[in-house]
Amino acid sequence: MEFYTKPGDYDPINYVPHQASHGTKELWKTFWLLLGITILDFIIYFVMPASGLRNVIFIFFGIVKAYYIVGAFMHLKHEKINLALIILVPTVFIVGLVMGLLYEGNAISLMK
Amino acid sequence: MANQAEATFEKQPMWSGGRSPFNVSYGKLMMWIFLLSDAFTFSSLLVQYGAQRFSNIETAVTTQWPDPASIFNHFPFMHGLHLPLLFVSVMTFILIVSSVTMVLAVEAGHRNSKKEVQKYMIYTILGGIAFLSCQAWEWATFIHEGARLDSNFFGITEQGYKHLESVSFGDHFEWQDGDRTWGPVPFAALFFIVTGFHGFHVFSGVVINVVVYIMTVRGVFERRGHYEMIEKAGLYWHFVDLVWVFVFTFFYLI
Repeated sequence: MEFYTKPGDYDPINYVPHQASHGTKELWKTFWLLLGITILDFIIYFVMPASGLRNVIFIFFGIVKAYYIVGAFMHLKHEKINLALIILVPTVFIVGLVMGLLYEGNAISLMK
Repeated sequence: MANQAEATFEKQPMWSGGRSPFNVSYGKLMMWIFLLSDAFTFSSLLVQYGAQRFSNIETAVTTQWPDPASIFNHFPFMHGLHLPLLFVSVMTFILIVSSVTMVLAVEAGHRNSKKEVQKYMIYTILGGIAFLSCQAWEWATFIHEGARLDSNFFGITEQGYKHLESVSFGDHFEWQDGDRTWGPVPFAALFFIVTGFHGFHVFSGVVINVVVYIMTVRGVFERRGHYEMIEKAGLYWHFVDLVWVFVFTFFYLI
């Protein structure tokens, strides 16, 4: 593992920062959490009658699962904040697109 | 010693060149950018699904969008039983397990433990193959029941809904005449397109994992001094899992 102390020594193609192992404790915790939420999804589907609230719960659980996969498994929680932001901020706009097109889709169904 | 050198390096101005501003390697940054663009690809498919679904809410003219979980109610070796959501949950479980073995391989790579990396990569590859097999079975069953890309025989009638409501989990169930009619076409079409596209990603993930596994066995990373390639393959593999979380939510649960 090499590190460059002078800017001229920096080789942008082959530079690989040293990654230390953080142990497996967090990873197993995330695994049990994802498994638990999936089982909860399964239970809620049968216990609760279909409703808007149930859909909101499912989407909320989906976002929680996504947070743990991206944060712990993909290690984004431990990356620099500016890297995390350039990846996460653009995806926020998708939510707006979804809202807009669901509204428009609903309007189309009323005119059919 | 290395830490001291790293600290000196970290103190250099971030954006004036001569260092990696995100403190990641070139390959890993490019993998993240690729995943971002892939996220947009999947989003466009899911957005289309949402818009199509909302434009097919039951009116006097259009049939209702079918409840997906009650259509995917089969389980291998339990023919004819009504087991909604069970098989998809098993598939989700397989993908979560293969995700955790992947991340364990990455962690083993940080400790430069070639043996453990090999072991966990094998588990991950097996998980991927198991998931693909499940998906093939599900597609075959769905097509056998009458789903096509260009038509959808899952417009469930009032009688069909009564029939579905009358059976409980684990009961015998088979579609009766008059249960189904022609429904909104995008239901089956988008199911095939989105799960197919996701399955293709799983397939390419398995191929990438096999390549990385062979490189590990041949000692490429040992000679290189770091196992970063496992991390890059891992990022892709976790992304596939991430997409499945949303496919599972929107195509099966809701």
